[in-house]
Amino acid sequence: MVAKSDLKINDDGINYGEEYLVLTNKRILIIRDKAIVKKYRLRDVFSASLRGYLSTIVLTLETRNGVVSIMTFSRARKKHFEKVVTLINDITLHRIPYNMLKKHLSERVSSQSERNKLSKSILIKLFKFVKPMWYMLLITSLLSVATTTMNLVPPYLMKILIDEVLIPRSNLDKLVMIILGLLGVNLSLTILGILRSYALLKLNQKLAFRLRAKIYEHIQMLSLSFHDKFSRGAIISRIIDDVNRVLYFLTQGVSTMILDIAMIAFVGLIMFSMSPWLSYIALLPVPVSLIGTAVYRKVMPKYYHRLWRKWSRVISTLSESLSAIILIKTLGKEHSAVKRFKDSLNEFIDSNIEVFKNEQKFWPFIGLSFTFSNLLVWWLGGMQVLSGALTLGSLTAFVSYMWSFYRPINDLANHLRLVQRVIVAGERIFEILTTKPESIDKPDARDVRIIGRVELRNVWFTYDGIHYALRDVSFKIEPGEHIGIVGPSGSGKTTLTKLLLRLYEPQRGEIFIDGINIKDIKSTSLKQQIAIVMQNPILLNASIAENIAIGKEDATLEEIIAAAKAARAHDFIMKLPEAYDTEVGVYGGRLSGGERQRIAIAAALLKDPRILILDEPTSSLDALTEREVTKAVENLTKNRTTIIIAHRLSTLRNVDKIIVLDKGTVIEQGSHEQLIRADGLYKKLFEAQFADFLEERKRKVLIRG
Amino acid sequence: MSIKEWVSKLKILDPKKVKVLSANVDTIDLEVNGILYINAKPRRPFPYTHPECLIFYTSSDEEIGMLRDYRKLDRKSQRLLEHVLNVVYFMPKIKRIVSISSRGGLYEWVVDTDKGLIKFKTWSSCARFLSNGKVIIKDVNGNVYCVENIFKLNPRNQALLSIFI
Repeated sequence: MVAKSDLKINDDGINYGEEYLVLTNKRILIIRDKAIVKKYRLRDVFSASLRGYLSTIVLTLETRNGVVSIMTFSRARKKHFEKVVTLINDITLHRIPYNMLKKHLSERVSSQSERNKLSKSILIKLFKFVKPMWYMLLITSLLSVATTTMNLVPPYLMKILIDEVLIPRSNLDKLVMIILGLLGVNLSLTILGILRSYALLKLNQKLAFRLRAKIYEHIQMLSLSFHDKFSRGAIISRIIDDVNRVLYFLTQGVSTMILDIAMIAFVGLIMFSMSPWLSYIALLPVPVSLIGTAVYRKVMPKYYHRLWRKWSRVISTLSESLSAIILIKTLGKEHSAVKRFKDSLNEFIDSNIEVFKNEQKFWPFIGLSFTFSNLLVWWLGGMQVLSGALTLGSLTAFVSYMWSFYRPINDLANHLRLVQRVIVAGERIFEILTTKPESIDKPDARDVRIIGRVELRNVWFTYDGIHYALRDVSFKIEPGEHIGIVGPSGSGKTTLTKLLLRLYEPQRGEIFIDGINIKDIKSTSLKQQIAIVMQNPILLNASIAENIAIGKEDATLEEIIAAAKAARAHDFIMKLPEAYDTEVGVYGGRLSGGERQRIAIAAALLKDPRILILDEPTSSLDALTEREVTKAVENLTKNRTTIIIAHRLSTLRNVDKIIVLDKGTVIEQGSHEQLIRADGLYKKLFEAQFADFLEERKRKVLIRG
Repeated sequence: MSIKEWVSKLKILDPKKVKVLSANVDTIDLEVNGILYINAKPRRPFPYTHPECLIFYTSSDEEIGMLRDYRKLDRKSQRLLEHVLNVVYFMPKIKRIVSISSRGGLYEWVVDTDKGLIKFKTWSSCARFLSNGKVIIKDVNGNVYCVENIFKLNPRNQALLSIFI
């Protein structure tokens, strides 16, 4: 494992330069100019740490010979070396085997490098999505070609009209024919336009369905570690915005680009055949436009970014003030809230005006170059018409074709920019699609009727391959036993339950249920028989009945009602006008915290699980609701193996055993009395929570004494 | 305790042993297993999805028991019960949508129901489609109307209603 610094210290003092730290299974080596300048045996190192200064950071080791500073780097490398420190400490302090750390790191690095290879083939991969609909793409392209070709006819008819009808003032029959021709062309264009729009819409929707369904299906199969890496917003943005970009490109962008190229070539040929001299003049503004647009794209993004930033500020000011409306009103800050909002709006307006001013440095000049060219064509063309070298109809048609020539040039420049955006959007989509699901059932995994004996043997687990959330955790739970897991925040309590549900796989060690390794149990079988009630349960936006029956879709009405009664939810449900058919709203927002909690307990009860996990089920409730929910929990846990995660030790009154976790390690286990006698972390936590109560009791004893 | 044990604790009533003696506006006089309950309250735990299922409460809100399907009661009891249920769960059935017009973010419905031609206003998010083709519509005041089966409406009405689903 190698880390690079950006500073080096030699006889001249500190300078920018490179030094490398190499971590092997036995040593830490410092390499400068391809030579090892320092080396330390890991068995002599107790721990590593960083010392931060104004703009430098020093990596130090505590060794048998005292503390030594081994490397200096700027703050830019801080995050990188924090990982190095964690790795060294994992080996030296926590005795995690080097090979295990290396394996997890290399897994992460290889998946990253696989992703980097992606961008090259992104467009090809994207086109594979269109493959089953190739005929639709062909139809839309053909309709586009037909529309464009049809658009070239009116200027030609105008030429005939002027030269052969209007100027000679004769040929009435031809006039009628031309008018009918123009009518026919316009009717055809309308029909072609409708057909093209319909074909495009169908192609777009089919492709959108295919892409979005594929991404969503894949996300559903991915383990929770994927959701740890990607925020909800990031996933939604990929499914909505990135797919939209890709869709536009694949359906309209490609056919338009092909058409633009064909149009430039075709119209260019017509123009040159009509008048090569005028065609050269018509080409004059093209380089001006291309250069101007290129400069515009280089200069303007920063102004647009500022404009979007200012708009975001308007939105966030509005959203913040609405969320904090109670605070604003209680502090009487309504006027300052209005001022803040007005300020943000004014900044947005100023920014918008600045964008407009800057745009005027480009577009008027580009527009004028086209106007000059147009006037030049009219002037020189007019001279040719006067001298009889060119007919008036040809000149009029030429000018029409000239504008048909400019449009695809501009379009093409815009679409080339779109390709870059599409590649980025495609990369983001394939970043999801190429992530492999972690928990896949073995081919010989089986359904098991669980009794409820749980055993963890030397379980290690890390989310990121560097920081270990669980270290060498072992314990046993007998069927029907109730155990409590306590420990400070971040001690690994919730991680433990996620491993039991096989939402993650431990990197080392094994978990057994009834003596069977959970990897040998089908994950569906496992999840059917383990239920979890969370601190803040999230309900689906469906009816109460549907939420209760979520774990057992074929539940009878009697079962739903019985579960609700056991969870002490039935009475409040029946008081609602729509009773069990009441829709709970998004995330269950139409119900109170205690009501949501009891619905979740009813759902767990209906599932009839053999193992039950309660993650702080009463911590966010008021005293009265807590009492109701506690009774519901008591009904739920009877005769089931139950694991209760608790910050509040009062929740653990009736458990058989308490396991105390600290920094991912089991440091104590036993009954409440045993742990108090042991005088360890549990006693400290207990005393901290009941300090006031104990103090009050002591005081009363003293008074009585 | 398993869910089976909890189900066995429910007081499920035998329709043969339930008799509705008389109906008041929103209460009934009821005889269950030979015991008389005056001013008992019939309630639907699943008013939209299983309107046939009832739970009876005493006048002091204690549960008497659950009747899985009130249609299994004798004819007189059924008739009396429906008389009260129609008051408690008043929900006109829409037979035809005459028109829906939008005004200032609100939709004004004119519908032909089993209770006659009525007008009401809704927000755009007002309809709830149930799996059996039933559609529940709630107006701005919280009044509920229902379409028994959307697929039995004429095509124009189906198209109109589908805008809200």
